[in-house]
Amino acid sequence: MSAPEPTHPLAAVATPGRHGAAGDAPLRVTLPRRDLVQVMARRGREEALARAMQDTFGMAPPAAGRSATGRDASAVWIQPGAWMLTAPRGAEGALAARAAAAFAGLAAVEDQSHGRTTIIVSGPAARAVLARGCRIDLHPRAFGPGRAAGTQIAHVSCLVHQVDDAPSFELTVFSTLAEPFFHWLLEAGASHGVVIA
Amino acid sequence: MSQPHRLAAGGHVDRTRRVSFTFDGRRYEGHPGDTLASALLANGVRLVGRSFKYHRPRGIFSAGVEEPNALVELRDGARREPNTRATVVELFDGLAATSQNRRGSLAFDWMAVNGLLAPWLGAGFYYKTFMWPAAYWERVYEPLIRKAAGLGRASGLPDPDRYEAAHAHCDVLVVGAGAAGLAAARAAGATGARVILAEQDALPGGDLLNEPGLEPWRTEALAALAAMPEVTIMPRTTVFGFYDQGVLGAVERVADHLPEPPPHTPRQRSWTIRAREVVLATGAHERLIAFPGNDRPGVMLAGAARSYARRFGVRAGENVALFATHDGAYDAAFALAEAGARIAAIIDPRPDSPAMQRAREAGFAVRAGSVVSATVGGTALRGIELRAAGGSGRGDAVAADLLMISGGWNPAVHLASMSGAALAWDEGLQAFVPGPPAQRERSAGACRGVHGIGAAAADGAAAGRAAAIAAGFAAAPDIALPDAPAPDHRPHPLWEVRGRGKAFVDIQDDVTADDIRLAHREGFSHIEHAKRYTTHAMGTDQGKTGGIVGAAVLAEARGEPLAKVGLPRFRPYTSPIAWGAMAGEGVGAHFQPTRRTSLHAVHEAAGAVWMDAGIWKRPAYYPKREDADAWASVLREARAVRERVGICDVSTLGKIAVEGPDAAIFLDRVYANTFSTLPVGRARYGLMLREDGIVFDDGTTSRIGPDRFFVTTTTAQAGPVMQHLEFHLASVWPELDVSLASITDQWAGIAIAGPKAREVIAGVVSGLDLSNEAFPFMAVADCMAAGVPARLFRISFSGELAYEIAMPAGYAAHVWQAAMAAGAPHGIEPYGMEALGLLRIEKGHVAGSELNGQTTAQDLGLGRMLKKKGDFIGRVLAQRPGLTDPSRPRLVGLRSLDPRRQIRAGCHLLLPGGDGSSQGWITSATQSVVDPGWIGLGLLRDGEARIGSEMLAANPLMGEEVPVKVISPHMHDPENLRVRA
Amino acid sequence: MLRIPCPHCGPRDEAEFSYRGDATVTRPGPEDGIEAFHGYLYERRNPRGWQVEWWQHGAGCRAFLKVLRHTVTHEIRAVATATEALEVPEA
Repeated sequence: MSAPEPTHPLAAVATPGRHGAAGDAPLRVTLPRRDLVQVMARRGREEALARAMQDTFGMAPPAAGRSATGRDASAVWIQPGAWMLTAPRGAEGALAARAAAAFAGLAAVEDQSHGRTTIIVSGPAARAVLARGCRIDLHPRAFGPGRAAGTQIAHVSCLVHQVDDAPSFELTVFSTLAEPFFHWLLEAGASHGVVIA
Repeated sequence: MSQPHRLAAGGHVDRTRRVSFTFDGRRYEGHPGDTLASALLANGVRLVGRSFKYHRPRGIFSAGVEEPNALVELRDGARREPNTRATVVELFDGLAATSQNRRGSLAFDWMAVNGLLAPWLGAGFYYKTFMWPAAYWERVYEPLIRKAAGLGRASGLPDPDRYEAAHAHCDVLVVGAGAAGLAAARAAGATGARVILAEQDALPGGDLLNEPGLEPWRTEALAALAAMPEVTIMPRTTVFGFYDQGVLGAVERVADHLPEPPPHTPRQRSWTIRAREVVLATGAHERLIAFPGNDRPGVMLAGAARSYARRFGVRAGENVALFATHDGAYDAAFALAEAGARIAAIIDPRPDSPAMQRAREAGFAVRAGSVVSATVGGTALRGIELRAAGGSGRGDAVAADLLMISGGWNPAVHLASMSGAALAWDEGLQAFVPGPPAQRERSAGACRGVHGIGAAAADGAAAGRAAAIAAGFAAAPDIALPDAPAPDHRPHPLWEVRGRGKAFVDIQDDVTADDIRLAHREGFSHIEHAKRYTTHAMGTDQGKTGGIVGAAVLAEARGEPLAKVGLPRFRPYTSPIAWGAMAGEGVGAHFQPTRRTSLHAVHEAAGAVWMDAGIWKRPAYYPKREDADAWASVLREARAVRERVGICDVSTLGKIAVEGPDAAIFLDRVYANTFSTLPVGRARYGLMLREDGIVFDDGTTSRIGPDRFFVTTTTAQAGPVMQHLEFHLASVWPELDVSLASITDQWAGIAIAGPKAREVIAGVVSGLDLSNEAFPFMAVADCMAAGVPARLFRISFSGELAYEIAMPAGYAAHVWQAAMAAGAPHGIEPYGMEALGLLRIEKGHVAGSELNGQTTAQDLGLGRMLKKKGDFIGRVLAQRPGLTDPSRPRLVGLRSLDPRRQIRAGCHLLLPGGDGSSQGWITSATQSVVDPGWIGLGLLRDGEARIGSEMLAANPLMGEEVPVKVISPHMHDPENLRVRA
Repeated sequence: MLRIPCPHCGPRDEAEFSYRGDATVTRPGPEDGIEAFHGYLYERRNPRGWQVEWWQHGAGCRAFLKVLRHTVTHEIRAVATATEALEVPEA
């Protein structure tokens, strides 16, 4: 039996097309297929881990509140001594296996590719829509591309990561809560209009 | 004639357009820019409501949020909104308003008889009268009081409108867009700071709206602010609370001024604003004077009458008197005279003043050294009585249809006070002003006693500049300020004119000066006690106009200075806020998130009946057409597990990856039993205690590698257990090198249980020898399941041969379908939470009903699991005598002697023929499939010793007493032969 | 509604945190007996004034933090990580 494509947690609700008001600058929503791997440094091995991450992925582990982009993956700081590695979806478990091999003895590695769901929101309305639920300041003076923050939006823990000046934000949530989060996002964006790719 | 009291020109209303509205069913017209109150006055409507307690006739008293009287119901049907202040309601076409708290018509209210009963309706009347018998409170007294007193009616229907929450951040928040606020926002904005300027009115300007000569400055200021990209002006936004660390709450009325919100637009939006620095420019509220009949329609605050004339172009009276104690109020007389009214008299207790001179020069009749001692009229003012200040008895009468009053101004210190600033007494203004700030806030303008547009604007500009600099911005060039003389608002301290009749200190709550004195006589002399005893300053206006007057009356009664008596503590909300705005979108489906497993669609397709497990949705059971009822479905599913094989979604169990060199040591400390001895590839049931020795949680933990454990928790405690582990790792044992990761969402779980489970697993799983020898009970191994990577556990909750397959959640539906296909020849059936509960009760496994936060390991028959050596959380306190007392209720099994008689969880266990005292209770109950009849688990005093005896399961609420036999909790396969088969 | 400056994430709303009580108590050793554990678990100073208390930034970095907060004014004077010392001022 061959492995099927995993079911996306939002498959049942993310209907492509336009939702909410008609406007010139709707919120653009995309659902990228991602691999996510949680990396937690062993006590006292942070420097060795940084070297290993540089060697294997071409980036240094980002500082608190930051992200880093490497050769074929990026990393977002999530906790003291912990990062989320992300890369476009590859073979099941491959990114986790690569990280586990590279970080053996330096970090605990847990695959979260199924456990977390990433939603990208983009466009001039993005900040205003997020401000409906996001308590942190996303103003360009306070946030920006390469910045990341764990927070709570609409009762759901959410990792907010700004990737560009469009602005675009990657929102990563627990997969079993992705659906109510997505419903909130549609409602929050309704007055601007939402286009789901 | 339409709008007979409308001036031909002037103000901020658009006379080119007409707006039609109704009040108590009668149709009127107004203009855009009107409030409901200004439009009613323009049409000569003076009587707008009946008072709270005495049903006295009431008119429009103010022109703003401080309005005590003109409370109306707006709209109808589901959108009906009670207690709306007509003075802040923006007029829109089709607006329907209704007066409230009347019986019969507004003009003749038969409840006004309460006014005749008034001597008995004083302060504390309800407390004293409706005391006995206690049982009458709910059934008789309260409905009676509610019917007689009270305000408007809620619609009783679901609110059809949407409300939103929103968050904002800024360097400088300016509250209030009067002269001070506009100048503060401009000065702060000029530095490049991010500024929010919040104004409760639809129109920014505050008192500038009453000053046509200063309109160019207002317009220019607004244009300058609009050109600053980092300045946000928020009109119709009330900042209602100042919390800690610069957090303020506000409500933006997005669509209240429209008949109904446009599509995708909320009616209101509640904002949480985090400000580095705050400038409070909230202005001041004019103060009433307590004198007999000061509540009669036609008595109005002087500043309000001035505002109706200048801002709204409405003459609130034709024959007007002014009763004032300071020069600042005199401009109202000039404004009304300009508007074409006759100034009948100016009554002032002071002997003389510059304003009096000017009034005399203008030809007004000034009665220096006088006070108003009474008002004359029915539902409308016809005249007033005067007498010498300090005198008594009756004096002259003067005809007037409008009496403008002003006892001075109360700085709007609410937000400053909420921020923690103490209030300071200003003897000149006879008012409380904000003391030194406790947070990063500063007050500017009238809210700190700096009156006059020019002075307030200068004060605001300085505050705005200072706030921006404090927020880290460099000073910018000075802004242009308006040039205007400052009125003298220092009043003669006259709070009350005593005489026959009711002199109100709180018009909305019908609290009189006499009520305050009564409260003092009866021992309620502290301002907070007097407030609660009399309801003074407890209405929707929160005593904005009369709060300090009541405090002054109390001060006099106590013989102490007002500065010492003080004001009641200010708390949110500064103005009434709709509940809908507080809830935001957190209603209905958005009240809390619903959590779904990755198998949700599979269960839906199988026709599951859902049940809530915390925020999770879980299948309760899967009804089939042939099932007679829910029990039939549950018993069928459980029988399938006992006799053949069943499949169940167990994805909701909490799952935590515990990894690191010290992981085993850590688990030994957080679990009551030992994990360091667990071999790799094996699972063990774990019991976790709280530090107080009570059982916290249970679950199986598997050793995946030497330093890697896969911990499971109950569904309910997944979050708390994670926090508990994190806390102890961070604070108690920081030296341990352990990482924790929540992997609940990464791994879905499918249980396959029943005598045929191995055959089904064999059809799904590859890469493992499933023989009992190679993969025994409590074995764990990685494998492939239906072609996807998975992890197989041989663990059982049902008491049957059972496995759990864990797989990355996106593959769960695929694996489930493969298992259903592999199980079809064996008669596999999905089973839900109800069957799961039945099976575990038969087996005697404890769950949430037994792990209830009150039970110890011993209570649950798990005492032998507690390790004898080494530290673990809860070890010491579990040894407390109260927790080791052998007479504590112990876990037992129970069986109804008559298999047809149901026993229910919650029943108390009584001794047959005993005194009816409870010996314990039933924690869980079900029908059994292995031995049909009703069974349960319970906690019973001396439980072990009572096994074999008979008890009564009593449910007094349903009048049931069911004889039961006490049995071992391990009702099914106590030797565990089946799980090891 | 507090704003707590998380040393990792910056100032965040109280809603992102959960409170876990007095951070000055130390868990006794396994041999210290019931009285010691009773004190650790139940006995609190409950000061009117400064207190060092545990707050977990649960919705953010999940770190347990020591927060020096005034129980009357809610002023927060200092925040430290779990392993850093934070003294309670005299007044």
